[in-house]
Amino acid sequence: MKKRGRGLGCAWYGTGYGNGFPDVSSAFVEIHDDGSVSVLTGAIDVGQGSSTIFAQIAAEELGIDADEVTVISGDTDTTPDSGTSAATRHTYNTGNAVIKAVTQAKAGLLAYAARALHCTSADGIELKDHRVRVKGEPARSLPLAEVVSQARLDGERFLGSESYTARTTRVNPETGQGSPYWPYAFGCQVAEVEVDTETGNVRVLKVVAAHDLGKAINPLQAEGQIAGGIAQGVGFALLEEVQLSEGQIKNPSLSQYLIPTVLDTPEIHAILVEEPEETGPYGAKGLGEPAMLPTIAAIVNAIDDAVGVRITSLPATPEKILAALAGPSKT
Amino acid sequence: MKIELKVNGVDRRLEVEPEERLLDILRERLHLTGTKEGCGEGECGACTVIMDGKTVNSCMVLAGQADGHAVTTIEGLGKRGSLHPVQKAFLEEGAVQCGFCTPGMVLSAKALLDRNPHPGKEEIAVAMSGNLCRCTGYDRILKAVERAAGEVEQ
Ligand code: FES
Ligand code: FES
Repeated sequence: MKKRGRGLGCAWYGTGYGNGFPDVSSAFVEIHDDGSVSVLTGAIDVGQGSSTIFAQIAAEELGIDADEVTVISGDTDTTPDSGTSAATRHTYNTGNAVIKAVTQAKAGLLAYAARALHCTSADGIELKDHRVRVKGEPARSLPLAEVVSQARLDGERFLGSESYTARTTRVNPETGQGSPYWPYAFGCQVAEVEVDTETGNVRVLKVVAAHDLGKAINPLQAEGQIAGGIAQGVGFALLEEVQLSEGQIKNPSLSQYLIPTVLDTPEIHAILVEEPEETGPYGAKGLGEPAMLPTIAAIVNAIDDAVGVRITSLPATPEKILAALAGPSKT
Repeated sequence: MKIELKVNGVDRRLEVEPEERLLDILRERLHLTGTKEGCGEGECGACTVIMDGKTVNSCMVLAGQADGHAVTTIEGLGKRGSLHPVQKAFLEEGAVQCGFCTPGMVLSAKALLDRNPHPGKEEIAVAMSGNLCRCTGYDRILKAVERAAGEVEQ
C-alpha cells in the first residue's frame, strides 16, 4: 500500500569560518574611462553565482548595468585573497569587501564630479543611469564616462582596495559565551512523501522551502540554490552513504554511490524570506549550505507521518523502513 | 586503425588506437572540450553527444564504433550571439550553476525536441534522467526544456 505523509524540518546555520578565525575577504575596484568597472576578488564562483552578485553590487553602487562590470576572480597572480568558496560566505563577506572597495573608488569620483559640476560638496552628487548628477537637480549632470575620462586627462584615477572581516569572536570555553558565527541563516521546509509499505521505497513528492537570506540580491540564483540544496538533501536522506571498510571507500563511483536523478527530485516551491541582516550588503546573508539541511529532517518526519516509523540513521533506505515496519526484531 | 566520421558537420579522418573512446578523440584530438568526463562508466551523462540523431554516452562508445557516423557535440550548436533555442532557454531560466552537466543536458534536450517538438513534462523528465546534476536540483533545467519546447504559457 502507498501511504502519504508530511513532515517539517527547521535549521539554523552559522555562516563564515566562525569562532574568531580571521574570516577576511578583499577586493580591488577600478572605474574606467568608458564608464565600465572592473572588480577583482579571490572569490571563486563554482556555480553559486558570486561573480554575478559582485557585478550587481558594483553596478548598483555606480548607477550602471551589471554587464558593464568585469569580475575577475580567483587568479592568484592578480586578485587579492578572499578566502575559500565555503561556509556560505561570499555574498556576505566578499560582497561587503566589494561594497567597501567600490565606495572608496566612488569617493574620489564624487569629489572630482563635485568640482566639475560646481557643487559645494561631494555629498551633493549622485550616480544614476550612467550619469553623474547634482542631487535634486537632474539638469545639472554629465555622462559618467565623460567625467571619468576627463578626470583621467587631469591625472586622477578612481581605485578602491578594501577588505572586510566577519565579526566573530572565540567562544569562552569556561562560560560558553561569545559570538561564534556572524550572521546566522534560518530555514524551514515541509516535505510530502509517499511510502510504499510493500517495498519500503520512498518518493518525495513535494518540498516547500522557506529560507531567510536577509535580502535576495538575485532571486533567480537564490531559488536555484534552494532547489539544488533540496536535491542534495533528498540524496542525503534516502540514498547517499559513503561505505568504508578499513579506511577504504567501498563505493567510490556513481554506479555504486547513487545520487538523485531528475526522476527522484520533488516538485519544489521556494519562499524567500527577506529579514535584513544589518551588517550584510543590502541586508543580504548566505543561503547555500543551509538550503539542504531542513530537507533531511522534513523527509524523515514525513516518513514517520506516513507510516508511523522513526528512522534514526541515514540514509532511510527501503531495507531500514521495511525492518522498522516489521516491528522490533525478536533476537 | 583509421576512422572517418562527421563531427559537427565537418568530415574528419583520424588514426586512432583500438582502446580509445569517442570521448577521448573528441577532447584530446579534436580539442572539443565542451564534452565532459564525469564518471567514465556510463552513469552521469556529462559526456553526452548526439550520434546519428540519438544521444550516446561518449565514454561508452569506442572511437572505432563511431566510424562512418555523424556526431554532434555542444560546439556544434549555437555560438555566442546566435544560441540554439535550448541554450537560450537554459540561460533565461537560470538552469546553469557550475555548468559541468550543462553540455550533456543541452544535447539531451536537443535530441528530445528534434524527435518530439512538444513533449509533456513526464517525457522531458524521462529524456533528461540519464544526465546527473549536482547543483541545480533539476528544477530550472526542466523549466528550461519546457520553455524551449514552447510549453511555458506566459
Ligand atoms: S562520463 Fe560518460 S556517462 Fe559519465
Ligand atoms: S550545474 Fe553543476 S552539475 Fe549541473
